[in-house]
Amino acid sequence: MSFAERMLQIDRRIIFLVIGLCTLIPLFYPVGLAIKVGPEVRGVYNYIESLPEGSVFLLSLDFDPASKPELYPQAVALLRHAFKKNLRVIGMTLWLPGTGMANEVITRVAEEMGKEAGKDYVFLGWSPGGSSVIINMGQDLYKAFPTDYNNQPTKDLAVLKDVKTLRDVSYVVSLAAGSTGIESWYVFGKDKYKFELGGGCTGVIAPGLYPLLRSGQINGLIGGLRGAAEYEVLIGQKGRAVAGMDAQSATHVAIIILVMLCNTFYLMLRKGQRRAGQA
Amino acid sequence: MIFLKRQLPLLITFVTGIVFAAQYYVPHPASEEMLTSVTKWLQIIGGFALILGVTSLFHIHAVKIRRKEPGWGYSFVLYAGMLGTIVIGLWGNGKEVTNGTMTAFGWIYNFMMVPLQGTMFAILAFFIASAAYRSFRARSREAAVLLAAAIIVMTGRVPLGEYLIPLSGDLTQWILNVLNASVRRAILIGISLGAVALSLKIIFGIERSYLGGGKE
Repeated sequence: MSFAERMLQIDRRIIFLVIGLCTLIPLFYPVGLAIKVGPEVRGVYNYIESLPEGSVFLLSLDFDPASKPELYPQAVALLRHAFKKNLRVIGMTLWLPGTGMANEVITRVAEEMGKEAGKDYVFLGWSPGGSSVIINMGQDLYKAFPTDYNNQPTKDLAVLKDVKTLRDVSYVVSLAAGSTGIESWYVFGKDKYKFELGGGCTGVIAPGLYPLLRSGQINGLIGGLRGAAEYEVLIGQKGRAVAGMDAQSATHVAIIILVMLCNTFYLMLRKGQRRAGQA
Repeated sequence: MIFLKRQLPLLITFVTGIVFAAQYYVPHPASEEMLTSVTKWLQIIGGFALILGVTSLFHIHAVKIRRKEPGWGYSFVLYAGMLGTIVIGLWGNGKEVTNGTMTAFGWIYNFMMVPLQGTMFAILAFFIASAAYRSFRARSREAAVLLAAAIIVMTGRVPLGEYLIPLSGDLTQWILNVLNASVRRAILIGISLGAVALSLKIIFGIERSYLGGGKE
C-alpha cells in the first residue's frame, strides 16, 4: 500500500480528535478575531432600530433543542434589542419540542431587561396546525391563542392591546430550523396580512433562503452562529455566539485543510495508477 | 359504499379545493369568516393527528416488543420514555416551572431532552469532517467546481478565513447572492409549478392515491 493510499484510509478517530481539539482549544483560549457584519443581518437590525417605541414585534421560535447552539444566541440577541427599544414583544413557537426552551429564553431575557409579563411581553406557546396557525392568527389572534402559555386570557393582556390580527404586528421574525418556518411565515402570513418579515436560521438552511432575501420577501436574514455573532456585535452585547466564532473558525479551517490533504493524496494516487497503467 | 369511499371524498376535495383557491381573491367579511372557521378546524385536526401519530408509534413498537424483533429493547426504552414523560407531564400540568420551581417534567425537558438533541446535532460536525475527508474529492470537473466553491464559502464565513484571505468574504457574498440565489430560485419555481400541477390533479380527481387502496 502506497503512502497516499494509507493517508486516504486514515483512522477516522484521528479526524474526530482534530475536530474536537479545534473546538475545545479556542473555547478555552479565545482569540477574538474581528467579526464583519454583513448586509443580511444588518437588514433585521436596521428594521428593528427604525421601529418606534411600543411597536409590536413578534418572534416565532420555530426550532427544537437540536438547533439550540445556533438559534438560541440569535433569540437572545434579538430579544435584547427589542426590549432595549421598548417594543411590545410577542413570543410563540410552531415547533412543539421547542416550547419549553422558547418560554425559558423569553422569560430569562425579559427578567434581565426588567420587563414584565403581560405588560411588556407575552409568550403564547404552541398551537397545533403548523402553517394554519399563521392563517388563524392573521384572521383572529385571540381565537388562535385564547390564552397565553401561563393560561392568562390573551384578550386581557396589556401587551396585546389593539393587536387583533397579524395585520397589527409591525415586524415578525421567524427563527427557523426547517419547515414550518420562514417560508411558511411568508406564504401564509406576510403575503396576505402585509407585515414586514425577517428571518433567522441554521447555517445549513441559510443558502436556501437567499432567493426570498434577494426578492425582498424577507428584509434580512441571520444565518447560523455567524449571523448571531454579527447581531451581538451590532447591539454591542457580545455573548455565546461571539465566543463560539473562534471555535467555528478553527473547525472550518481544519476541515478545509483536511479536504485539501485528501485531494492531494487522491491526485497522487491517481497519478501513480496512471503511471502503472502506462508501464 | 362506493359513494362514501370514493365519490364523497372526491366531491369534498373538489368543492373545498375550488372554494378555498377562490377565497384568497375574495376579501368579503363572509369569506374571511369562513377562512377563520376552517383554519380553526385545521388546528383541531392537527391536534387529533398528533394523537394518531402517538397511537401509531405505540402500536408499531408494541408489535416489535411482542414479537421480540431485533432491537426490541430500544422499543422498550421508547415505551418507558414516552409513558414516563406523559405521566410526569400530566402530573405537572404540562408546566416546566411552577412558582419559580422546576417541575419533574421541566427536569426531563431541560436535563434530558435538550442535551440529548443538542448532542445529536453536535456530533454531526465530527461526521461531516470525516465524510468530507473520505469523499469530497475532485473526481470530475463538476466535482472540482463544487469543491472550490465549498472551500471559498467555508473560508469566507468565518473570521479567521476573512483574516487570512480578505477577499474570501466578498467572494462568498457573491457566490451566495448571485450563483446560489439564482439556482435556488430556479429550483423553487420548479417545485412550485409541480405543487400547483399536483394540487390541480388532486382537486379534479385525477390523482387519487390519497384515498388509499382497499376494496371498492
